[in-house]
Amino acid sequence: MESESKNLLELHDIEAGYGRAALVLRGLSVVVPPSSVVCLVGPNGAGKSTVLKVASGMLVPRSGSIRIDGRDVTGDGPQRMLQNGLAHVLQGHSVFREMTVGENVMLGAFTVSDEKVVRERVEFVQNLFPIVGERWKQLAGLLSGGQQKQVEFARSLMVSPKVVLLDEPSMGLDPKTTAKVFEQVARMRDAGTAVLLVEQNARRALETADIGCVLDLGRVHISGPAAELLADPTLADLYLGGQPSSGTDASTRS
Amino acid sequence: MPSASNPGPVITETIVVAPSAPVRPSWSKWVRITLLVVGAALVLAFPTIAPNPYILSAGVVILNYAVLSTGWNFMGGFTGYISLGHAAYFGLGAYGTALLIRNFALPSFLAWFVAALLVAIIAIPVGIAALRVRGASFVIVSIAFVLILLLVFQSWRDVTGGSEGLTVPRPFPDLLRPEHHRVFYYLFAALLAVALAVWWIIDRSKFGTALKSIREDEDKSQSLGVPTTQYKLIAYVLSAVFVSFGGGLYALWFGDLDPIFQFSILIGSYMVLMALLGGVRNLFGPLLGAVVVGSALEYFKLEFGDTQFHLIATGILLGVVVLFMPDGIIPAVKALFTRSSNQASIREVTAGELLEENRARSAETVPPRRPDASGEETP
Repeated sequence: MESESKNLLELHDIEAGYGRAALVLRGLSVVVPPSSVVCLVGPNGAGKSTVLKVASGMLVPRSGSIRIDGRDVTGDGPQRMLQNGLAHVLQGHSVFREMTVGENVMLGAFTVSDEKVVRERVEFVQNLFPIVGERWKQLAGLLSGGQQKQVEFARSLMVSPKVVLLDEPSMGLDPKTTAKVFEQVARMRDAGTAVLLVEQNARRALETADIGCVLDLGRVHISGPAAELLADPTLADLYLGGQPSSGTDASTRS
Repeated sequence: MPSASNPGPVITETIVVAPSAPVRPSWSKWVRITLLVVGAALVLAFPTIAPNPYILSAGVVILNYAVLSTGWNFMGGFTGYISLGHAAYFGLGAYGTALLIRNFALPSFLAWFVAALLVAIIAIPVGIAALRVRGASFVIVSIAFVLILLLVFQSWRDVTGGSEGLTVPRPFPDLLRPEHHRVFYYLFAALLAVALAVWWIIDRSKFGTALKSIREDEDKSQSLGVPTTQYKLIAYVLSAVFVSFGGGLYALWFGDLDPIFQFSILIGSYMVLMALLGGVRNLFGPLLGAVVVGSALEYFKLEFGDTQFHLIATGILLGVVVLFMPDGIIPAVKALFTRSSNQASIREVTAGELLEENRARSAETVPPRRPDASGEETP
């Protein structure tokens, strides 16, 4: 975190909130180095999803700065952020259910005008997620939850993003499928795309991640190599399935 | 911990180059082509086999409905925005054509084109205003627009003739009635063919895919970079233009306009109902709906005379279809034929595979949360 220039994505001292309500993020800083999975964990209301919304331009921070590859992009909206190289995979099931897998994936490339690049990306995502090629002409709504997740991943990769923002990819999936989803997250990373991940299923996510950040009350409480966080007994007790969180909703503290 | 500095892509999968999922059996293509040829032949042969001019004129009415409904489907089918007020463009097209001929002495078919152009220009601001709202609000706005036009065209007697109506000069004054019907039957058929062709092209284009994503989830579509506002507007204007062409051709054919009919909620509702009946996601859905509802309407009118019974009978017909074929006739019929075909299981692994995998894992000494790196395969 010291050498700023080599990070793909940097959120620095971000303050953000919804409407006039209390701040959700209070001076949060997160960095995503190249080819890494950074995982945000923390209790409900800590501001995990808000971090992704800020990064993807859906929520403009009140203060602080966002840098991509060292370039200041603070204040850019969702479409600009997409062009800047940040693709957001929303919480829950977000495929277009009544459209084919192929149409879903091609929509991911909507902003890409070069046909050759699109073809290359199609091949790339089909290699990474074979199910996408196998079910290309089927309705996405007919796939299982885990397969739909792969379609979403593939769709987000079509713009050749620098960083993919994943909001709770394991939501609504059984443990077995969850394991596979994290395996795929690792494969995205191995194929060269950095990932900023938000996850309730903290232990599972940290096993995949390279860097973990524990969020509480709108800031990064502790961060470090994911393996170290996992090994820390206090942390494990507090955030990784020890007690359920209580009274940590950011808005109660204003 | 997996290394963060791993530079090269590690892809160990078998390479799937072509998306070659054989979803449809190969004979399906020939069934389609056969149906298309037979359908087109039937449409073209109808004037010859029609027993009398009355039946032929009913055919013209049905084709007119088909044009309107297919035109409506540019908006309703692709974007899911249900407009109940498309009769506005039917009326504007008809009155525009008539007034341009009467007041500016334009040749009939030039007037027809100019009217459609003017409708396109009018549809832009109306579309911008109406498309700011979604769902039920959009329906209300669309109805409001047609009601306003109805009042304007009824009250502005000097120009529109008000409730007394407006006669439209005939484009082919020498033709006898049956010949007149026959010519217009083919004109409507040609217009329908153009509308269907444009719909088909959009359906397979990137533009069409983007429109369909708006239908499913507009916010999500926007987040992928689709300029939803502009795209909706283009679809809306295109839809208005085709409905206007339908209205203009109606004016030239029928030769007499009355605001209460041209700007009726009923006409607007017919467009929606026909499209829903046939299936809004299918190219020929609105056409099929027009044939069914249009024939039913004509038959009931003949049977029950000048009462409102034809509306009740049509309502019951629609109730039955919505109950048993909620997606429309075409998807329901398709499902009959493809039900037993090769829809692959959505399970990612079979129970047998799972058992095998678990057994293999328990035999190893590695921690249990590192499954092997193979993808998900369904046998």
